[in-house]
Amino acid sequence: MTIYTTHIQHRQDTQSFGKKVLKVLGKQKALVAIAVILIAMLFSSTNIFTLSHLRAFLLVASPELVIAFGVTFAVICRACDLSVGSVMSLSGIIAVQMINSGVPVFLAVLMAILSGSVIGFINGFLIVKQKTEAFIITLGMGLLLHGVALYISNGRPVSTRDPIFNAISNTNIPIPVIGYLPSIVVWMLLVGVITFCILRYTSFGRNCYALGGDYEVAEHSGINVVGTKWTAFVITGTCAAIAGVLLSSRFNTGSAVFGELTPLIVNCSVVIGGTSFAGGIGGIVQSGLGVLVMHMLRYGLSMFSIEGAFVSINQFVQTLVIGIVIVSIIAMDCYAIKRKKEDV
Amino acid sequence: MIKQETLERKTFYKVGDFVLEYLVIIMILALVIVTAIVEPRFLTAANFRNVMGQFGPLSFTALGMTFIIMGGFIDLSLPGMISLIAMITLSLFDIIGEIPAMMVGMMLGIALGSLNGTILVKFGATTQAKALFITFGLSQLYGALSQLYTGGSPINRGAFEHPAPLTQALSSGTVGDLFPFYSFFNYIPFTFIVFLVFLAILFIFQKKTRLGRSINYTGGNFVAAELGGIPTKRITVMIYAICGLMVAIGAIVAFSRANVAAPVVIGANFERDSIMAVVVGGTSLAGGRGSVLRTVLGVSLIILLSNCMNLMRIDSHLQETFRGAVLVVAIWLDHRRHAKG
Repeated sequence: MTIYTTHIQHRQDTQSFGKKVLKVLGKQKALVAIAVILIAMLFSSTNIFTLSHLRAFLLVASPELVIAFGVTFAVICRACDLSVGSVMSLSGIIAVQMINSGVPVFLAVLMAILSGSVIGFINGFLIVKQKTEAFIITLGMGLLLHGVALYISNGRPVSTRDPIFNAISNTNIPIPVIGYLPSIVVWMLLVGVITFCILRYTSFGRNCYALGGDYEVAEHSGINVVGTKWTAFVITGTCAAIAGVLLSSRFNTGSAVFGELTPLIVNCSVVIGGTSFAGGIGGIVQSGLGVLVMHMLRYGLSMFSIEGAFVSINQFVQTLVIGIVIVSIIAMDCYAIKRKKEDV
Repeated sequence: MIKQETLERKTFYKVGDFVLEYLVIIMILALVIVTAIVEPRFLTAANFRNVMGQFGPLSFTALGMTFIIMGGFIDLSLPGMISLIAMITLSLFDIIGEIPAMMVGMMLGIALGSLNGTILVKFGATTQAKALFITFGLSQLYGALSQLYTGGSPINRGAFEHPAPLTQALSSGTVGDLFPFYSFFNYIPFTFIVFLVFLAILFIFQKKTRLGRSINYTGGNFVAAELGGIPTKRITVMIYAICGLMVAIGAIVAFSRANVAAPVVIGANFERDSIMAVVVGGTSLAGGRGSVLRTVLGVSLIILLSNCMNLMRIDSHLQETFRGAVLVVAIWLDHRRHAKG
């Protein structure tokens, strides 16, 4: 007996250090990527390691981060949501249009966010109750909502002059040590903390992981799988709508073109962070890191373009790099799942 | 065995199932009748010619997409592929001549399609969701490559030195130009004939060859097909290669019809319209069921829908909404249909 246990311990100890490091790094793809990008930035001529750069960076990334927090719920339940981009642009347009027609700001924002919840509810109905394939039905839903957004905004960006609505995202909140933070970042952090707590400390959040891991097992253990997955989609829709309000408030404008590539990029970012399509793995923090990687790539590449000779084509290089990153990360995720299956 | 067959037949002839199975034909008929009553201009010769002319790039890409969806996969890389193929083909027009350039374009289509398929197979992305994201990334990649290739500027076909008769024919030629015997021929565009030829080839390939039927088995149950001795991985690469070829032809037709071809813009929305045409036609997204003929019905429905809505002067943004609604309902009905069986 004792010999046996020591043998096992011995085997665990002899697992080479390099392998252990690789294993940890493999789980933290996003952190590795961020480190690599930061090191690469050291060689660019602009110094991005300043507070103002960091602030601007978070400011730009905030709406996508909020969406990613919501999408995490859907991905953990082994689904995805490709309608978030259209939900985002639609909720922004709804908020602006309602304010323009005289509705109080508070009510308009509430209605805009509720619109996202309703769309999430419909998505949930189609996916959970009618058992349609999540990614394709939400893709269709996205097209439908894009049409609605175009129709109610008449295909033009709509803007408002309401100062209170503008203040939602554009107030500077003084914070000791780092000076100030734009309020959009504070809202983003708030949503992040709330979703984090829901996923981590409530039975609903635990159930999400359980049914993402194995739907059948979760059902047989007495979890209300239908209700849980349905709620997850409502949360996803709501977060996307919140992002829409924040974005519209930042620009004072609602437009149907805001969210065209967002859904696919956000879903990919969530996977980059380590929330796998196999379901049941991941979390809010990981998703946030995934989105940050994507944004750092874009931000970093545009920093490089300032000194580069071919400024005009550098934007295309950005798209190229983003395409390569998406393909390689998702392919790696698939490969890991395949290997895991073969091992078992 | 016989019992099962009769059982199937019995359930098949329930009215509800019949309606679900041939919904697209019923919808086409309803659309035609309603529009013909509301808008008399619908049944004129000019409009017939207009509708025939709409069988453009979309009908080719949708044919290619049929095989992919039948094999249980999906392809979002169409916009990028169309953009890259169109740009490279056009840039070769003045250098190696028109027809060789088109050949190069088709070869490129097959190569890109095989690349897509190989990436999916090598990394074990055998589900639709994974294929969706990877092909989306590839679309970005191809689009960016085409932009880098032209430096972002559009290519103007009017500035070419040599004449391009085939491109001209694809853009506005009719059968009447070749056979001026009947005035009826003037109403059939040349592209439509090309479409029929490819439809016939692909139909025979799907129904009468072993490889074609293997696609159905692969889509029906990937694991079972592999255990049954079907080279599923090779089939996957093959269907993506076929799709690549059809996309290349679609790209050629697309730039023939536009005088100025801009990278990325030229391929926009093709992926969603192709998926829509295939699903509306009745090819199951679950894989394993479907036919190129069904896709023709789907394409016809989409063309007629936009034609009718244009004739009725419906706002273009509202049309977008309608198209999205048709797609959602089609996917929903598809799942209902196959959840029963």
